[in-house]
Amino acid sequence: MIAQRDAFLTKLFNKAIEDKNIILLSADMGSPSLNLWKSELKNQFIATGISEQNTINLASGLTHEGKNVFVYMMASWFARCFEQIRYSCAMADLPITILGNGVALGYAPSGPAHQPNEDIALARTLLGMEIYSPTNSLVAENLVDLCLSERKLRYIRLERSYSRKLDNYNVLNNNLNILENHKKSTEKKISIISSGHLLGKASELYDIISKSYDVQLIDLVRISPLDKVCLMDKIDKTTHIITMEEQNLQGGFSSALCEMLCDLNLNIKIKRFGLPNFYIFENGTREQLLNRFGFEINYLLKESLEFINNE
Amino acid sequence: MNSEELEKKAKWIRLELFKFKTKSGVGHLASSLSCVDIVTSLYYDDDVNFNHKTDYLIFSKAHGSPSIYPILADLNYYSFDELHNYCQENGILRLHSDKSIPGCHFVGGSLGNGIGFAAGLAKASPEKKVYCILGDAELYEGSVWESLIFISHHNLNNLKLIIDRNKYGILGATEDLLKLEPLEDKFKSFNFEVSQIDGHDFSQLKNSLKYFGSSPQIIIANTIKGKGVSFMEDRFEYHTIIPKNEKDIEQGLKDLK
Repeated sequence: MIAQRDAFLTKLFNKAIEDKNIILLSADMGSPSLNLWKSELKNQFIATGISEQNTINLASGLTHEGKNVFVYMMASWFARCFEQIRYSCAMADLPITILGNGVALGYAPSGPAHQPNEDIALARTLLGMEIYSPTNSLVAENLVDLCLSERKLRYIRLERSYSRKLDNYNVLNNNLNILENHKKSTEKKISIISSGHLLGKASELYDIISKSYDVQLIDLVRISPLDKVCLMDKIDKTTHIITMEEQNLQGGFSSALCEMLCDLNLNIKIKRFGLPNFYIFENGTREQLLNRFGFEINYLLKESLEFINNE
Repeated sequence: MNSEELEKKAKWIRLELFKFKTKSGVGHLASSLSCVDIVTSLYYDDDVNFNHKTDYLIFSKAHGSPSIYPILADLNYYSFDELHNYCQENGILRLHSDKSIPGCHFVGGSLGNGIGFAAGLAKASPEKKVYCILGDAELYEGSVWESLIFISHHNLNNLKLIIDRNKYGILGATEDLLKLEPLEDKFKSFNFEVSQIDGHDFSQLKNSLKYFGSSPQIIIANTIKGKGVSFMEDRFEYHTIIPKNEKDIEQGLKDLK
């Protein structure tokens, strides 16, 4: 299956042939799918160079004049132009789509500078910002239709890799979906919630836990703002929630979930798995680093069972 | 308007500015006073041919943007009463102009961003004229230079950048603190057409503001910070300080009448 970035950008290209208002800006972020943009849609593709701050400001000016602008950049640099996104997009209420490529440990072993582990926390503080984390290329492709039909300020977190197990999985709902569901007449009812690349790991955990418990696996596609109505409906009977996110735990989607549970005065136990509270200066593939830093399946299982059985 | 009428209009704008700034005690009066003649020329000199309904003025140095508040009232974007309500509870005018204020388009207050926004406007709408006023101390922001590279490469010749070169930042003179010069050479090396003018001379302002050539342009408008108020002129201390005592206010009003 093709990479998420190519799935998204190719579909957007096909839409842009018909809609001349669609403009793609690349802040020196590459992709094989950009070749078509460069050769066929020269007037709708702008290479802005390694200048994320200007790119966002430029996008806001173009959007002000009626263009439908997509900014494609490395996810790590979301932080670099945070201020411009805040002033020129969020405050200005301009609907721009920001495509952040290579989220979380996707660029491992490039070192912590290329491994954004707080982009969700940053983005979700911006008022009016929607954050999406597609699990595979089919889901990423679906989001093109959403961005064109309902224009808003969005940050779409594109994965460089994802679980092959979920290659052909597609979503019914752009906000959240029950990926798997195993009903059992047990007192404890568990919801495992994850998104993006890590959904593969969550699926492994689900396979084991579902042998003994009533459990469902939820793919949180829109991680901010949470679709409270839909989520409440799905976790209505849940007694234990397990979240897994490839992100620091301060301010990630599990933080948002805790806030929601607190605001709604819901007494559901929650166990959160996330990246450690330090920058990772170690080499390894994404899988190796995940296994080393909190996402090894036996560790996840042991911690989860302790959480479920702890009275 | 001829030069004499423009002078008169500018004096009225400075007086209004001085009145609502000293009444509220909020904002950067000196930085607003330095660019009054620039905006007066833009809005009132017919030869400049700026259409405020279709063209754009973007205040990248938004702390100087209150200089257009009297003008926008004069052009019926809102009532003159709003000038008296500047930064008051029920008023619509703030220290930094933003898109919620009629006649303004950009959310100002963070330096180095208006120029990129203006570049986007100019790129998307080549039929429109886009003017963007930057402060000289704003040039320290790296994002400005990112935008200059873009504007030059895309030859956005419907965009005119105006540097309000009043020579001071909060802490003192730019050339003492962190040198900006030679500014003209720097801009020329980016392939801009650069003119250096007296930013208080309406004849020079007219010629440079009305001109649009084949390349993007920058006007370095040499101005006086605090222009018009005798004791404020060229005094960096007044960057954020607004005259408070009766004697100073009286003197300022006398200078501007």
